[in-house]
Amino acid sequence: MNTKTLRVSAMLIAVVVVSLALPKMVSVPYYLHLTVLALIWVVVSEGQNLIQGYTGYVSIAQGGFMGIGAYACALLSVKLGLSAWLTLPLAPIITGCFAVLVGYPSLRLRGHYFAIVTLAFNMVIYIVLFNFKSLTGGEAGVTDIPRPGHNGLPGYYYLVLASAITAIAFCWLLVHSRVGRNLIAIRQNEALADSIGIVTWRYKLFAFVASASLAGFGGGLYAHFMRFINPDTFTVAQSLNAILAVILGGSGTLTGPVVGSFVVVFLPEYLRIADFFRLIVYGFILVLATIFMPQGIVSVTENVVRRLTKAR
Amino acid sequence: MITELVQQIINGLTVGGIYSLIALGLTVVFGILGIAHFAHGSFAMFGGYLIFFLLQRFGLSFFTAMVLAMPVGAVLGMLIERLAYRPVREAPPINAFIIALGLTMIIEGANLLMFGADQIVIPTSYHKVINIGTLSIVELRLYVIITIVLLILAMTVFISRTNTGMAVRAVAQNRSAAILMGINVDRIPMVIFAISSALGIAAGAFVGALFAISPGVGEGLVIKGFAVLILGGLGSIPGAIIGGVVLGVSETLAAGFISSSYKDVIAFLVMICVMLVRPEGLLGRRQ
Repeated sequence: MNTKTLRVSAMLIAVVVVSLALPKMVSVPYYLHLTVLALIWVVVSEGQNLIQGYTGYVSIAQGGFMGIGAYACALLSVKLGLSAWLTLPLAPIITGCFAVLVGYPSLRLRGHYFAIVTLAFNMVIYIVLFNFKSLTGGEAGVTDIPRPGHNGLPGYYYLVLASAITAIAFCWLLVHSRVGRNLIAIRQNEALADSIGIVTWRYKLFAFVASASLAGFGGGLYAHFMRFINPDTFTVAQSLNAILAVILGGSGTLTGPVVGSFVVVFLPEYLRIADFFRLIVYGFILVLATIFMPQGIVSVTENVVRRLTKAR
Repeated sequence: MITELVQQIINGLTVGGIYSLIALGLTVVFGILGIAHFAHGSFAMFGGYLIFFLLQRFGLSFFTAMVLAMPVGAVLGMLIERLAYRPVREAPPINAFIIALGLTMIIEGANLLMFGADQIVIPTSYHKVINIGTLSIVELRLYVIITIVLLILAMTVFISRTNTGMAVRAVAQNRSAAILMGINVDRIPMVIFAISSALGIAAGAFVGALFAISPGVGEGLVIKGFAVLILGGLGSIPGAIIGGVVLGVSETLAAGFISSSYKDVIAFLVMICVMLVRPEGLLGRRQ
């Protein structure tokens, strides 16, 4: 075993130990609450990364798909009394079905056109959630959604942790398969990929649906965690947050969205001290980060570490 | 029935004119620089607030305040280009888009900080109702339509008749050739942002006078602007004008005859349908 694999496995073990022991280590429940949110975001932004980072199509509908998953879980468990163990696996399937309907027409477009049409679909989802009062309850939302595992926070933390790891593992397998290589080929040169016999629309649709399903799954986890949802959580702003998580962490890498998710959940919380200036400071950080470290936090850290170890 | 239809179309024209104005600002930036300037809506709202402030503080009339605010907007637009967008000019387009999102937050935050979170309506004195047969139009709406037409004409003349306008078109067609012709290509993006931002300020003023301004309105506005862009064809100036009118009128008709809470859905469905039949937009060029 060379030093690199040694270092990587040591880091992995440390991450696993810390994440398993976290509920015992954190004394303030609020931080555990934020960690759960960040892990839910890991599921969502890993999905966003599939379509944005690997396939090169920037979809702005991730928030809407989260909404579909969240409402699917909420309504199935509140109105039909299904258990969360049944609704959570159903959420990605239901969201995936909607994603086929959205993706099939949208993926005929490219670049900014694609981005803006998906954004319009996000608006449509939001407006329907807001106005279809007999089903969704409108602005008042859905309340008293059951949380599995006796409503305990640590118990739910482990469920979300397992989900996030499953999502990362799914993406890892996908990216390292033939499908993943085809997706990267589409990102690098779609015309060339087409001409060497890759049926690009099928792979693009697959990536889009997979990314939406992960968002739906994340939305379901969110609904059962917060126990209350309303349409305001699933606006375009949320989709933009998913894009930010991918970009800030490092797009087209598997670790990037993980880091990015924690940044987009924790950073605004810390900036709450600055209250009035929060939005402005967040905006400035975003602009400066894009100008000075466009590759994302992960690759910048890697470069710094490499430089430090070389200097020694 | 027919009267009501015509009346609704007239109402839709005002809304459509505002959409056209927003879309024009977006389309020059997108068509020539390839930037999806998402902060445009929040910037327009800043314009509305600024004019409201000028009215309250110095007692200016609506149109005087607008004429004063537009150059201010132009200068701020140039600053935005120089400080935020130029550093990422060589980077992939998504980076400029992220910058735009950051700018949106900064401008929204600044609006909140300077003008508060209350909803405002810019007061004007043009409330007279003009009747033509069975149709009627409020004086202000008429002036708004006329001003929008004048602004669009002024911009067209600037782009097609002046030297700077010619340089802008040259850069849009072929950047390297423009450099060889001795055009200062670093100046062009600033000119474009100046025009776009000044138009945005005017659009914000009209939104404030006809409807209302509050935090969050800007985002809805810029999304409509992009919808218009797609409808008309990205980067096409006539497309932005016609797309805006089509969106405004179809939205007003949908609100009047189908359902006002689903009017935005209908507007977006129109856009999505156009996209599927003509992906390049109503007036866009086929690739």
